[in-house]
Amino acid sequence: MRKRAYIISFYFLLLYQVVLAQQNNAVLISVNFQQTKVAQFVSELEAKSNYHFFYDPVKMDSLMVTLQVENKPIEFILEMAFKNTDYHFAISNQFIFLTKGRQIKTELPPGFAEIQKNNQLEKQANIVSDYTEEKDKKVLEATTENKIYEIGLKTNPIKPGNAILSGYVRNIKTGEAVVGASIYVASTKNGVATDQFGYFAISLPRGRHTLIIRALGMRDTRRQILFYADGKINIELTEQVNSLKEVKISADKVANVRSVELGVTRLDIKNIKQIPTAFGEADVLKVVLTLPGVTSVGEATTGFNVRGGAADENLILLDGATIYNPAHFFGFFAAFNPDLVKDIELYKSSIPEKFGGRLSSVLDITNREGNKKNFTGSAGIGLLTSRFNIEGPIIKDKTSFIFGARTTYSDWLLSALPEAYKHSSATFNDFNLDLSHQINDKNNIYLSSYLSNDQFRLNSDTTYAYSNRSIALKWKHNFNNKLYSVVTGGIDRYQYDISSKADPLTAYDLAFNINQTNFKADFNYYLTNKHTINFGLSSILYKINPGSFEPSGNQSLILSQIISPEQALESALYLGDKFDISPNFTLSAGIRYNIYNYLGAQTVDNYAPNLPKSQVNVLDSTTYKGGQIINTFAAPDIRISARYILGENLSIKAGYNTLHQYIHLLSNTTSISPTDVYKLSDPNIKPESSDQISMGIFKNAASNTIEMSVEIYYKRLNNYLDYKSGAVLLLNQHIERDVINTEGKAYGAEFLLKKTAGKLNGWLSYTYSRTLLRQNDPNAGELINGGSYYPANFDKPHSFNFTGNYKFTHRYSVSVDVAYSTGRPITLPIAKYEYGGSERVFYSDRNEYRIPDYFRSDFSLNIEGNHRVHQRTHNSWTIGVYNLTGRQNAYSTFFTEQSGVISGYKLSIFAAPIPFINYNIRF
Amino acid sequence: MKVLFYIVCFILILFINCKQAYTPPAIASPGSYLVVEGVINNGTDSTIIKLSNTVNIASTSTVNPVFNATVAVEGDNNITYLLTETNNGKYFTTNLNLDNTHKYRLTITTSDNKKYYSDYVPVLNSPPIDSVFFTISNNQLNINSTTHDPTNKVQFYRWDYKQTWIIHSAEISFFKSNGDTVLSRDLVNDNIYECWSTDTSSTVVLKSTSNLEQSIVRDNIITSFPLNSEKVAIRFSIMVSQYALTAEAFKFWTNLKKNTEKLGGIFDPQPSEINGNIHCLTNPNEPVIGYLSVGQVANKRIFISNRQLPQVVPNLSTATCELDTFWFCRPGTSPPNCENMVDEYITYNKYNLGVIIIPIVKVGDIGYLGTSPFCADCTLRGTNRKPDFWK
Repeated sequence: MRKRAYIISFYFLLLYQVVLAQQNNAVLISVNFQQTKVAQFVSELEAKSNYHFFYDPVKMDSLMVTLQVENKPIEFILEMAFKNTDYHFAISNQFIFLTKGRQIKTELPPGFAEIQKNNQLEKQANIVSDYTEEKDKKVLEATTENKIYEIGLKTNPIKPGNAILSGYVRNIKTGEAVVGASIYVASTKNGVATDQFGYFAISLPRGRHTLIIRALGMRDTRRQILFYADGKINIELTEQVNSLKEVKISADKVANVRSVELGVTRLDIKNIKQIPTAFGEADVLKVVLTLPGVTSVGEATTGFNVRGGAADENLILLDGATIYNPAHFFGFFAAFNPDLVKDIELYKSSIPEKFGGRLSSVLDITNREGNKKNFTGSAGIGLLTSRFNIEGPIIKDKTSFIFGARTTYSDWLLSALPEAYKHSSATFNDFNLDLSHQINDKNNIYLSSYLSNDQFRLNSDTTYAYSNRSIALKWKHNFNNKLYSVVTGGIDRYQYDISSKADPLTAYDLAFNINQTNFKADFNYYLTNKHTINFGLSSILYKINPGSFEPSGNQSLILSQIISPEQALESALYLGDKFDISPNFTLSAGIRYNIYNYLGAQTVDNYAPNLPKSQVNVLDSTTYKGGQIINTFAAPDIRISARYILGENLSIKAGYNTLHQYIHLLSNTTSISPTDVYKLSDPNIKPESSDQISMGIFKNAASNTIEMSVEIYYKRLNNYLDYKSGAVLLLNQHIERDVINTEGKAYGAEFLLKKTAGKLNGWLSYTYSRTLLRQNDPNAGELINGGSYYPANFDKPHSFNFTGNYKFTHRYSVSVDVAYSTGRPITLPIAKYEYGGSERVFYSDRNEYRIPDYFRSDFSLNIEGNHRVHQRTHNSWTIGVYNLTGRQNAYSTFFTEQSGVISGYKLSIFAAPIPFINYNIRF
Repeated sequence: MKVLFYIVCFILILFINCKQAYTPPAIASPGSYLVVEGVINNGTDSTIIKLSNTVNIASTSTVNPVFNATVAVEGDNNITYLLTETNNGKYFTTNLNLDNTHKYRLTITTSDNKKYYSDYVPVLNSPPIDSVFFTISNNQLNINSTTHDPTNKVQFYRWDYKQTWIIHSAEISFFKSNGDTVLSRDLVNDNIYECWSTDTSSTVVLKSTSNLEQSIVRDNIITSFPLNSEKVAIRFSIMVSQYALTAEAFKFWTNLKKNTEKLGGIFDPQPSEINGNIHCLTNPNEPVIGYLSVGQVANKRIFISNRQLPQVVPNLSTATCELDTFWFCRPGTSPPNCENMVDEYITYNKYNLGVIIIPIVKVGDIGYLGTSPFCADCTLRGTNRKPDFWK
């Protein structure tokens, strides 16, 4: 690298007297470059000729040459290498100058001496000004495509080297942040995506650039900038209003191949709304179920299973608030208002360091920000539910609100049912109120709140009620272009109540609640164009009242039973770095250190070691005072993922993740039921942990409108909770005696083919996956299936989904949804016998058999009103049929004794084609 | 609008709960397993162990007794008591006076020479039943029992019962047919009017006092039936047996109850394995069903007469019985071409038809009043031998 000594900047070169004449010593050269960097390119050419090269390695850094020529002069080689790029060369005598953005004229311009003097003067002035903070400077609002925006203090000439450009991308109509917009710089071929606040920061060589901005559902645009120094630019995007014939370019497309993460899916509400659902209302959770690697145990369940994880292993976040029960009315409806949801992101494999505490996945649901410019709203009317939302500015362009409400009116329908169902009732509602306020250029605050209520009575005198409540305050602060922070504080609560008042003697109230107080500080530091660093800390204080069973009314004979409350503190520190090792190779590595403290006041039983945790093996018990640390679990989570780009539209990725979970849902029913209990890890219940290794290959085709991916994974589960036979989970003071720690393994392959644009769009996915558990520790109490592996409740090896939407015209589109999966495992009765005066059944090994396969197809027709942009209201209709073939999919099968005879039954839900209609209005 | 309403109702019926009969695809049962039921009774009462084999789920009968097995009770003090086989796979012995300080087990050798052993089980005697009484609520008659264990040793209880009640035929028959002629009935030795019907428990009744400071069971409902039931139309008696259980035995019975009596709802748990304390020595992987307990059984009997209860119209199974006249010469026919209905229906040998009608009273020379055997013969529904305990 002796040439380093000769490296001189282009400006400095201008001061040289250069020889104009060009010697004609044409040497013919043969070269073969494959993705060659500038240093190698130059040294090879120098070796094969007698030219010397001069260039700035910083500026030439992103040059990659792929070229094969035989016996050509050097001019030709250089011409070919730099064709259609921003790189230039100039040959003067034996010297070759490589430049970027500007070409060297190897002759002096007239009036050279004067320019030289001015330059030197200005340069001196700049040295001073360069170090001043650009405070109180108005951020450029770049609104038009054809104007050149100057960024940073103007210098002439433009100084060499890189500077940082940052800013926000917003929706021009609502002022709302555009998440995941890609900003692509054509000249350097690099790009960046905006974060959840619409913020971006990118390191660019100073000079003139064209930024190409693309975002989901937004019209593509470009901005031209003249980049002098660190600076800011805000870009406003226009919504793509019914321009259906345009090719929709989504940020996802680039992300699919280019992002480092594996197993991440982002869906826009527009995708979600295309999918037919049972009652015509867009459903966030139903869409998640169409993605590869996601299954559920059946219809009408609130939970979903990701890559072999149980339903409680998903962290469901709504604007950062943890939602414990994400569904209404047994899971027939998702608890999220589709008019407010902006997008969802599901992380199955590469879970960012800032998330933790659950083993399987993170479902991050983001609501829209209120419109900062105008008052708008929408309403929808369905057969069973109605919804309404309104949003608008409080202070124009600064503060906005958005409010959404949903309610059901199914009671009148239920009361019209035959006698057997007449005494059922079901109501639910949910409310969202979000505020966002821009304090100044550097500070934003967001307040989000959520309340959901459910109450139902199914043909009995028992009333079930549950509720999610949460409130969160988020403060975003930009320290400078490179560093920003988001500090969040919030309270989440989930509670349920079961009561029966029919018989005054046995009238009772059963209550459960879980409260968590969160604090989180996340920092994002854009170190260089190669390193983006995330770090932060989080802390959650859990308070659980695991159950109180109390008499209701004076006459009740019920004995009051209260399980003592539990407290724990789950904290984490994390640090992650996204390192672009080369343009093709990116590594994202991070660590999250979890510290979990189980806190008093509590009385904990101490069991004899290596003996089953049962009453007979209790040695003694210890009582701890309030707030006292009972025990601590600490463990690091490792998060690594890497991506290597093989070609323009092809990449491979690999990742390794470890996760820990300290809060467990106890449920031995097949679905999440309203009587399930959450339990914190304590000295007798170890935290669950998992690690997963995954690999994937990603390919885009047909100008990025078709995305293909194959991902494989292998996951190990430790201390996974399963239950002893006949476990009692509700109102159990000693729950550790009824649970068993099992180990598990899950593996699978996921195939996804997605078409994102055009008249026909949608996706096709196939997943092969297995989840097997094993309990082979004889000391734990009982062996399940003799200690061999058995399939988990939600093990469904084959799963196929098709979701498609075809637009006939701008106003009419049809959606079809097809789902097939292997039936889930079941424990079947295999023999019968008489015992205790009655006929009894003998069941097979746990989960030895399967219920019949699941198949469903849905169809819907979406009719949009006319597409005039300026009208008072926009209307749309959705008409469709759910379960078109009327297949009676088994939700569960069971065997029960009625007057001494055992009969088998199959329970189907949605066992016939269900037509639906929905009317939506937007104003 | 109205049409839409009905469509919606229809939809709701379909989705809420569509419960259909379900026969699982041919479950090839891998074999039949030994079922052991019974209690080693410490005391004067007999010990009866019932051995049977499971049957395929699709089979119509569940009775599959095991014959010719060798069954014995073995103490950990090396004392063995052999059980004698009686009928229907039952093996019994009496007067086992077991030593409370020792543990006992059951050993079984089947005719195909398979050996089964239970775990050694401690002797746990049930405290006496304090009282058995009835209560009435919502037109239901409940049989309750109370007990307490002053030593607090017994924390888990199981009950079963045998109930006996008097049934009456709809009519008192003063005559009987021997097939050829109609004779007067011996109303004492050939009583078919008053019988005793018997029934045993078919549900598992369990109670735990582990959550109480003292082992006291109060207001425990053993069984209940409607107040107008035939059982209490005349006189009723119930014998309640109380068994003391260990914690493990209680768990076994709880699981048994859960698996077959409590499944079906959306939120009900999946069935769980039932692990007994009997093992197959010959093939350790072969499941054996049953939980063996050892101990004294406490029994208590009560009687309830109809007059002790509020008066309600009894719901008799003979409510629809009617008397008909059976003529020697049916009206409309005349000698010598009489249609003799007595020959046709009562003196059945003439036409070889079997018992069709039981004569009740004679109506002069015209014929007999008669009714069906179900209405006249209570031995079809019970026994006419007064049980020894009856008073």
